[in-house]
Amino acid sequence: MASFWEGLRSGRTAIGPFDRFDHSGHRTHVAAQVDLAAEPGRPRGKPPRLSLADRFAVAAAREAVVRAGLDLGACGGRPGVYFGSRTGGMLESEAYFEAFLAAAAGRGRQPAPGVLASQQYNGPGDAVARDLGIGGPVQTVSAACASGAMAIGDAVRAVRRGEADVAIAGGSDSLCRLTYAGFNALRSVDERPCRPFREARAGLSLGEGAATVLLEPLDRALARGARPLVVAAGEAATCDAYHMTSPHPEGIGAAEAIRGALADARLDPAEIDFVNAHGTGTPLNDVAECKALYAVFGDRAGELPVTSTKSLVGHLLGSAGALEAVATILCLLSGEVHPMPDGGAPDPAIRLRLVLGRPLRLSRARHALSTSLAFGGANAALVFTRHGDEGLVR
Amino acid sequence: MKGLYAEAVITGLGTIGPCGHGRGALAAALAAGKPVAAEVDRGAGLHREGGAQLAALVGERDVSRWVPPAAARRISFPSKFAVSAARMALADAGLGDAGAGPDRVGVYVATAFGSVLSTEKLLRRILLEGPQAAQPFDFSECVANAPAAQLAIAVGARGPNVTLTQRESGPLLAVARGAQAVREGLVDRALVGAVEEVTPLLHALLDRFGALARAEGPLGEMPRPFDRRRNGFLAGEGATLLVLEREDDARARGARILARVGWSGAAFDATASVADWGDGHAPLAAALRAGLDSLPGGASGVSAVVSGASGARRGDRIEGRVLRAAWGKVPLPPVLVPKAVVGEYGGGILAPALLALEGAPFGPTAGFEEPDPEVGVAPHDGGARGILERVLLTGLASGGAAAWVVLERAS
Repeated sequence: MASFWEGLRSGRTAIGPFDRFDHSGHRTHVAAQVDLAAEPGRPRGKPPRLSLADRFAVAAAREAVVRAGLDLGACGGRPGVYFGSRTGGMLESEAYFEAFLAAAAGRGRQPAPGVLASQQYNGPGDAVARDLGIGGPVQTVSAACASGAMAIGDAVRAVRRGEADVAIAGGSDSLCRLTYAGFNALRSVDERPCRPFREARAGLSLGEGAATVLLEPLDRALARGARPLVVAAGEAATCDAYHMTSPHPEGIGAAEAIRGALADARLDPAEIDFVNAHGTGTPLNDVAECKALYAVFGDRAGELPVTSTKSLVGHLLGSAGALEAVATILCLLSGEVHPMPDGGAPDPAIRLRLVLGRPLRLSRARHALSTSLAFGGANAALVFTRHGDEGLVR
Repeated sequence: MKGLYAEAVITGLGTIGPCGHGRGALAAALAAGKPVAAEVDRGAGLHREGGAQLAALVGERDVSRWVPPAAARRISFPSKFAVSAARMALADAGLGDAGAGPDRVGVYVATAFGSVLSTEKLLRRILLEGPQAAQPFDFSECVANAPAAQLAIAVGARGPNVTLTQRESGPLLAVARGAQAVREGLVDRALVGAVEEVTPLLHALLDRFGALARAEGPLGEMPRPFDRRRNGFLAGEGATLLVLEREDDARARGARILARVGWSGAAFDATASVADWGDGHAPLAAALRAGLDSLPGGASGVSAVVSGASGARRGDRIEGRVLRAAWGKVPLPPVLVPKAVVGEYGGGILAPALLALEGAPFGPTAGFEEPDPEVGVAPHDGGARGILERVLLTGLASGGAAAWVVLERAS
């Protein structure tokens, strides 16, 4: 978490050349890749068949549990896992399928089916549950780029209703050829590192990784002497019901999700101090998102500090909403909004207060909004409140 | 006690599957008690020798009654199945598209594999022709949430749009999530259910995993849920969508109530391997037992179990052990096994459960002849049942997840 925050504060993008797979035949050649040499230890016990996305998920979940100071085995509760993923183990599936097709054509031997075992969308969440010995509910959401945010939203409600008294929530995805080629086919990938909200933006940049948060009832956390990072104050999800790959041009669905999350948090729009936007860098998304912010915040939308974590680490797809939730939490804790890389004039049609180049110190950092807008028009919004400022303990 | 989600009721059912379109064809197949299996195209050479050859495929693929041809050209088969089943369900509920203020209609759909054909086509192009041959259509339809999204676009549902991908427990998680959303007032109505597509490639891969029923010695290829000689399941495809709404709202508009959604629960067996079922039946049984204890009459108050057993070797074993342990000394009620007829995936358990509550006859469990002492459950033998007041649906997934939902007859 410390190195992540350091990277965010620096405003230097991690998007650049990568070698996760051979991309020489693709239209673009940049992405944000996890340095596997720095990956924390593999899962305990006999090595199971895990995809890269599974491994990211397990590493992130372990860090969240350690940070929470919680012994899940001894807490006597009913822990659950709420996870999101867009492609699960697709990277490994591609290698399997390539060998499978070759064998079917008489070239080489059939690959062992076990390689495919972790390709399912539920692979990362299940891997976390298995690694942590979870006995409570386990649920995977695959709602494209909103998966991670929806998973956290589901976990918030599960904890509130007592379905789980500890919830590990997040998302995980790895880079793979399917999504890289697919977004390129849509002409949605920038040849350069993505430039959200900038006039010259030309699409997104893909990334990979996992992020998790550990949620528990506030009173329970305080009773065990934990120091809560933030209060997960509100969540909501909506659908544009408009187009499979384009957001509603007026951002109607996104605005409704934001309103829903604010209502859930019992906050007035004026109380939000900054926004961690979906901010992909695609021409259509950034305009629609800007309109959604104006629809909810009125003219104040032009004064609200807005940043996009994707400008630094790329678009993590099913993990993006979770990673951006963590970034939002870190901003709240530090009282600063992390910057996007400097360079490139803002789009004059997008009248937002973009945080560029260096962190923005806030005079007030109590409540923050994180948004996720996905394929299929699925939208999710999360509101976090700094602990001590929640006002109303649910 | 009605349970946490007692205020959510089912008022519409739409199903499209191997038996045909609608509940009538499904009811006839369940009464006959025979697997609705067809030969899978093995011409591409993807299958292994001696492996499975059958699947429960949707034979009647013309869905122009629900999806106009112009729209059908732009969406994959799973999306067509989902849109068709949703429109069927809305009509069954006496509602039109969206059926309410569209902002207040949520969609909760489960799928295990999403649009397999779109994914396969996209990967084939990338791997065989080069990445720049990738087609936007295949990419946009290969996302797991494409059916739920296309459904929302078709009927104008602008509430939460959630796709659950938790293998065999997904359909029940979708029902539970939708019921919670209705109960908590997040939506006025929810379209909940499941969708799946079986392609020759998926069939070949499942078979190479050893997951599918196959001919073995003198035994023909068929799923044998709970039978000692079972060796896999029948892969199935299709979609089932249900309309959920608050009971008060349904009664106020004079809607016919098919069932009330009662208790639901979920748990995880961490002993399960990545792609198989585990041995940790005791914690799962404890979670189920806690739910049963919350019902009127406890476990004795359940009139029948609509089991997710499918013929999977380890899956059926843990299913049986969980049921036996959860019921303890109380005799198990009749255990219905619809996946013996309609196969695994595609929400094959949801519509049969509603039909069971309506009193539809179920034939003997296909393939069950020799009890398995490791399982200890004898499924429904086709005999007459009394009126079912409350049924428990079970969904234990490979990988370890488990979900249960109780449906009650609404008086």
